[in-house]
Amino acid sequence: MTSQDSQDIETATTAIQSQPDNKTRRYDRQLRLWAATGQSALESARVLVLSGDATSTSILKNLVLPGIGHFTILDNGAVSHADAGNNFFLEGLESIGKKRASEAVRLLCELNDSVEGHADTRNLSTFLDTSPEWLSSFTIVIAHNLDNAPLQELSSFLWSDPSYPPLVVVRSAGFLGEFFIQFHEHAIIESHSETAPSLRIDKPFPALREFALSLDFASMDPTEHGHIPYVVILVRILEDWKKSHDGNPPKTYAERQEFKKSILATKVKSDEENFDEAEAQAYRCWTETKVPPEIAALFEDPAVSPEALSQTSSPFFHLLATLKEFTDQSETHTLPLTSTLPDMKSDTSNYIHLQRLYKIRAEEEKQAFKSHLRAHVDDAMVDSFVKNAHSLQLLRGKQWGTFHQDKPALASNPKETCTHLALSALFSLNEMNTGAPPIAEALRQQIQGTVGEGVELPEGIDDIIGEIVRAPSAELPNTAAFLGGMVAQEVIKMITKQYVPVKGYCIVDLIETWTGVIGA
Amino acid sequence: MASNSAQINGSAISSDWRDRYFHIDQILDQPGPRTDPSFSAGDGVKDFLRNKCKILVIGAGGLGCEILANLALTGFKDIHVIDMDTIDISNLNRQFLFRPADVGKPKAIVAAEYVMKRVPGVKVTPYFGKIQDKDDDYYMQFNLVICGLDSVEARRWINATLVNLVDPENPESLKPLIDGGTEGFKGQARVIVPTISSCYECSLDMLNKPTTFPICTIANTPRLPEHCIEWASVLEWPRVHREKKLDTDDPEHIGWLYSVASVRAKEFNIEGVTWSLTQGVVKNVIPAIASTNAIIAASCCNEAFKIATSSAAYLNNYFMLIGTEGVYSFTFEHEKREHCPVCGGKSLEIPISRDWTVEQLIEMLTEKQTIQIKKPSLSTSTKQIYFQAPPQLEQATRPNLEKKVSELVEEGGEVIVTASTLPFHLSLVITYT
Repeated sequence: MTSQDSQDIETATTAIQSQPDNKTRRYDRQLRLWAATGQSALESARVLVLSGDATSTSILKNLVLPGIGHFTILDNGAVSHADAGNNFFLEGLESIGKKRASEAVRLLCELNDSVEGHADTRNLSTFLDTSPEWLSSFTIVIAHNLDNAPLQELSSFLWSDPSYPPLVVVRSAGFLGEFFIQFHEHAIIESHSETAPSLRIDKPFPALREFALSLDFASMDPTEHGHIPYVVILVRILEDWKKSHDGNPPKTYAERQEFKKSILATKVKSDEENFDEAEAQAYRCWTETKVPPEIAALFEDPAVSPEALSQTSSPFFHLLATLKEFTDQSETHTLPLTSTLPDMKSDTSNYIHLQRLYKIRAEEEKQAFKSHLRAHVDDAMVDSFVKNAHSLQLLRGKQWGTFHQDKPALASNPKETCTHLALSALFSLNEMNTGAPPIAEALRQQIQGTVGEGVELPEGIDDIIGEIVRAPSAELPNTAAFLGGMVAQEVIKMITKQYVPVKGYCIVDLIETWTGVIGA
Repeated sequence: MASNSAQINGSAISSDWRDRYFHIDQILDQPGPRTDPSFSAGDGVKDFLRNKCKILVIGAGGLGCEILANLALTGFKDIHVIDMDTIDISNLNRQFLFRPADVGKPKAIVAAEYVMKRVPGVKVTPYFGKIQDKDDDYYMQFNLVICGLDSVEARRWINATLVNLVDPENPESLKPLIDGGTEGFKGQARVIVPTISSCYECSLDMLNKPTTFPICTIANTPRLPEHCIEWASVLEWPRVHREKKLDTDDPEHIGWLYSVASVRAKEFNIEGVTWSLTQGVVKNVIPAIASTNAIIAASCCNEAFKIATSSAAYLNNYFMLIGTEGVYSFTFEHEKREHCPVCGGKSLEIPISRDWTVEQLIEMLTEKQTIQIKKPSLSTSTKQIYFQAPPQLEQATRPNLEKKVSELVEEGGEVIVTASTLPFHLSLVITYT
């Protein structure tokens, strides 16, 4: 390397970052998924788990490792011989007889020094009666194999105020399991959708159009010609096409084929990949950029109407109302442009120039968006909202248990429904005859009661009932670990408000190894 | 409770306290409605699982840590684990058997010790090294193999090894292989019964094509920060450092690449070169989280448990999970590939033009998604066509690169392909179009 080079590198190095700190290195593999914003949401989260059993500690393990702020295990039980055999967060015989919550908290905390864990050995029922408000200090509450009565009480209380935390209800027996997230509303800005935003080739913004029109394909040297980005090629050829077609893009199949041919005919050498890319992307010319139907549906949400919007509305709804106003008033009736330009065959200067045009325009549209915004919203949130406007999501959840009122739904999706009905029946029976193992006939009757007398039970129900009878109180380590991963995954999505959590009951059958969703 | 039960790794039975397997035994004491009639409930199956079954875990990383813990709790008592890696700080967000003080130590050894300490009576035998160090006799001793690997090459090796191990005369030689893999919120688990069901090689075309950048883009027309990073690692590093090999685990090396890439990015007005991206590109970092690993490892161990005990049907044969949008999973039977070079038993037919040179054939082979080999060497049963190594042989066969294949191989002739990364010979039948 010449001394000139090393000089440059030194100058550059002083201006840039050095190796990341230990925390960033520790979390590197997850920061690549949910970035610093997701991480900070996790670090502020407080998670309550209503048991110290194997499934509960498996869930917590997958939340402690990525670094949630705080967790509490509420469990007044002592470690049994059976617990010591199936829970990795107990120390075998040495833990037997000790408080299950305390042992589990101690061992889980070893996984990550930055997480605070608390063992609460009070009885759930007593404080549900006296001071349930305590629950609202948590970000999310998780309950595994909780008896029906306290579960119903818990679910009603947490449903009673939309500001109370979501509740994750997890149930399992043997190879079977299910979970359900009870929440009122869940707004997602960063859904990490794989759908890319429109490049607006069909509705080019002025600077893009001018750039495309300024190029003189015919007079370029071959190298230059082979490096025009396809976006520019398409905008230009479309403009030319429209001139000779009353301002319309190619409409019929024949026209589209002709249009594609005209792209290839512009080649000066047969191996110009940029023109091949343009031909492959030609559909963008006749796919009109408009507000995607999912986003248009959000504009109709009652919470976005001027009457409903107030100071107490969440920033998401203010932003959504602003977005509606912006698209209504924008000339092209489109969402704000995003500056992300995919890679394409091009030389550096053309690509960087094009990227700059997109950036400048995206910034202008963002400013225009902001001028419509009447509530105070944090700048970083506005940036993220505008950037992800094409893939926003708003989920509305249900209260746990309401699925059982939907009789037609109970009769559909047999495979998943069988498992759900059988697990529900098991917990209803457990409540009635404490201690005695359930028998098949009793489970069958219970299920019949749920779906309604006279309704034919789904095919395959007896197989599932048989599995429940075989292992009614078995918390298998693998099932616990599987649910532990699934539930933690969904809890992370709820807390970070990134990616899309599951709606309805997620059913797990580890005999045939499948998962399915019902009651969404 | 036995008096010596607290003794760690005492004999298997002595550490089994009353009700230790209260949960598992509900499954092992009686069949379910869908259980195969061959299942022998009760003491027989428990004795096999806890005293006789020997299982091998390949990989003690993200999946491996979970797999070891699950197997131990499920009642497998004789577990072996192989891993060639040492612990890095970036493992600690998911590899839950490791602590900051373990950084730098061998994964297999630390994981084995941890599991033995936590789950009394379980014997975990670690091997800190490569799977390729072990011979057929070694693999022959296990009843089952579970893989939690991040390398395609290692998976192909163990898959081919277990397929080749099958002797139709000896049922013991059939070792079910359970393979798991994750990336971010996605993952898959599958059961491979060598020679019977679809093998790893059969599904090579399901792999995503690795991102590669054309060398001319890197050298002449960079557009993305990634292009600048590739320039620094592929072109600048060897030019400046000559013989010194790039170590992507060495922060100083990454730091150097980062600064060189930054200078180039600045020169071309490209934004976005960061330390993290540099590391991501040169190491091909795959996002990884505890929860996905937990799901996939649990699924693998559950299949191992069902296969070892016959207590329930096992997965036939592929479970795929996508957790980015809700929970989506797909369970299906992956079909055997007719011309699978590992389990198909037939030669792969390659139609090429009479004008093709040996070099063109080699290039085609390296790009083919169903083959995926780097640096193949070619020969026929009577002559060497081209060898990548040793250097003398490479030099001697190099002139053949420019020759036409049709001058060297007759119509329908067989070409044997070998590569250092392939544990088997690939047999091609050349036809001319």
